[in-house]
Amino acid sequence: MTLLAGYAPDGDSSGTVHLATLLARSSGEPLVVCAVIPSPPPPGMARVDAEYHQQLRAEAEAALAKARADMPSDVDVTYVVHEAQSTSSGLLDLVHEHEAKMIVLDSSTAGVFGHVALGSVTSRLLHSSDVPVALAPRGFRTKPGEVVRRVTAAYSGTPDQDDLVLAAATVAARVDAGLRLAAFAVRANAQYTTTLGTEGDSPVISEWAEVVERETNAAFERVRALPEIPDVMESVISHGRNWAEALEGVEWDRGDVLTVGSSKAGPLARVFLGSRAAKIVRYSPVPVVVVPRSASTRIVDQAEAE
Amino acid sequence: MATLVKHVLRRKPALQIDQETGADTNGGELTRSIGLAQLSMFGIGATIGTGIFFVLSQAVPVAGPAVIISFVVAGVVAGLTAICYAELAAAVPASGSSYSYAYATLGELPAMAVGACLLLEYGVSAAAVSVGWSQYLNQLLGNLFGFQIPDALSQAPEQGGIMNLPAVILVCLCGVLLIRGASESAKANAIMVSIKLAILLLFIVVGIAGWNSNHFADFAPFGFSGVMSAAGIIFFSYIGLDAVSTAGEEVKNPRRNLPLAILIALVSVTAIYIAVVAVAIGAQDSASFEGQEAGLSAILEQVTGSTWPGTLLAAGAVISICSVTLVVIYGQTRILFAMSRDGMIPSIFHKVNPRTLTPVPNTIIVCVVISILAGFIPINFLAEMTSIGTLVAFLVVSIGVIILRRSDPDLPRSFKVPGYPVTPILSILGCLWIIKDLRTVTIYVFLVWVTVAIIWYFAYGMKHSRLGAKNRAELGSESES
Repeated sequence: MTLLAGYAPDGDSSGTVHLATLLARSSGEPLVVCAVIPSPPPPGMARVDAEYHQQLRAEAEAALAKARADMPSDVDVTYVVHEAQSTSSGLLDLVHEHEAKMIVLDSSTAGVFGHVALGSVTSRLLHSSDVPVALAPRGFRTKPGEVVRRVTAAYSGTPDQDDLVLAAATVAARVDAGLRLAAFAVRANAQYTTTLGTEGDSPVISEWAEVVERETNAAFERVRALPEIPDVMESVISHGRNWAEALEGVEWDRGDVLTVGSSKAGPLARVFLGSRAAKIVRYSPVPVVVVPRSASTRIVDQAEAE
Repeated sequence: MATLVKHVLRRKPALQIDQETGADTNGGELTRSIGLAQLSMFGIGATIGTGIFFVLSQAVPVAGPAVIISFVVAGVVAGLTAICYAELAAAVPASGSSYSYAYATLGELPAMAVGACLLLEYGVSAAAVSVGWSQYLNQLLGNLFGFQIPDALSQAPEQGGIMNLPAVILVCLCGVLLIRGASESAKANAIMVSIKLAILLLFIVVGIAGWNSNHFADFAPFGFSGVMSAAGIIFFSYIGLDAVSTAGEEVKNPRRNLPLAILIALVSVTAIYIAVVAVAIGAQDSASFEGQEAGLSAILEQVTGSTWPGTLLAAGAVISICSVTLVVIYGQTRILFAMSRDGMIPSIFHKVNPRTLTPVPNTIIVCVVISILAGFIPINFLAEMTSIGTLVAFLVVSIGVIILRRSDPDLPRSFKVPGYPVTPILSILGCLWIIKDLRTVTIYVFLVWVTVAIIWYFAYGMKHSRLGAKNRAELGSESES
């Protein structure tokens, strides 16, 4: 079992390197850093294509050399240049070839610093990967020797998120990190022209918070039934007028990782981001791991079998 | 017997209300940021527009041209109650409705009765407003496309139809929006208020061309009692004035600004209403009001002899009344939510959907009931029921002011009623005076309704009350220790 880090063949993906080493160091898994380049087209009259292809390969090798230079020495790494029809399908090929259990990717360079931004490859993978996808916020950096200290699972108390919580707890226990369940919500502005005042919706919010608290405690009970449980378990509830506020309402530290589950609406085996999860991902200030439901189930089943 | 009295009059401590509603506040203290001008505009915006578009066809036949005086009477009483409302809103830290205030000052049973009144103030008025909306929609469709929804689908059974389908559809659409968690932004509200003011202004400016003083010749054909009955019918045009009172915590210098803003809003609203009514009566004979649909629009067409002013007015009314319906249904769901959290009604009313953060089953039930009312009950009855519910709720608030002054004289109040105890007493008398002249059937139906609520309280609310459960738990732990 390995972690697969996708490195942009034409440029700088230091975020990937930093996140991949953080995760590999925490879990003790080997790391495969890959650069995917387009596979050569069928041979044609001119030899230009072959030359162009050579050039691409050379660039990818150079990029990987740069990755190697950035890589800390305490992680077991292999470097691969892979040819595929598309970057995302190439990454998925490599996942199967190396039996990787997670794909690590950087944010799009078009994003805002400090937040996760989905690029085209990432978006595609978020609809087709059957293993978890870890995303680094733009400009993400770690200190030498840093490990994951706390896994935060986005949990709003709905039953379809049960497996995510158990999977997050299993992984957190395995890497000696704490577990935190976080509920995020966006409340609409109160209809202030009624005679209920500007805080007309606050009872609704309190009621929601109570329900979430109850569900969270029940989820912790289920976690305690696992063979291995995290040392620290905490929960937090945050709401704001928009998703940015809701996510900022929670304190985040170094070594925090946020996990979100894929939507109930998508195919069972694959990642499929729901609208809420997509917003949580976009406003997260820490690395995010998007977990397909099948992967959560797999992790939990394995943990229980061991 | 003594314990029973204790039960039904148990009061929710003000502090507890504060904790419940502010349990998870990010921030807590609201900043005082609203000034006098903004607050007055807020009051005008929240008040104008519900009743005035369709209440004339009910009120003018009852009072004749003297309906102008009815508007003044209803306005004065509304102003007095709004001032009392402001003191309770300031003293009871709960954000909420007269239901929460009654729970904190008078006790559980009166709170239940007030809750029943509020069902009329909100639920029934939403039905009334949506029926009025369907009239303007029909007018607009007729003017624009030469097509009207047939009476069978746009009238209540009593008026010869099967059901009022447009009103039902409007209520359901509002329900969908509320379930999705839509809310009207301050900007959208400002736009809606501007539309309402603009079309009323259009009506006044264009309609005055049809002025005929002869229509005022027989000023009060039904005497003083007619004036008072009309005041009862139109009282609900002033619902919303108390919105000013609930903004108390955010108002700069509330002692000065709250009563002043209520006064400014009241005078402006009354002035606009009276201008509209005077122009309407100047344009047509009192007798022609009876049974007139989409009244303001119809009068404009009559005066100008062309359809466009009526079409414009109808379009404005169709747009702005939508937002009124949305807001009123919202208020109804949140009141039931609060009652359900207190254990007064079944817990299904406080189930929150975690995705949208809205009480979904609550909203569905409310919308179904309101659409049944809107579809099958004629508007004049709905309007009167709304008025009596609102009046009684205000009455209780005014009594609450007096009671809270006696029971908790030291409670910090950021706003106090000027001229205590005269103001709350006048307010109580005013409400009673208007109620007295409502149609007997309205009063009977209202009494039956409140009785049902009281029976419900003894059958369900008293046993399920959260406050009661809490008290029992405390007693239990005391006797154990």
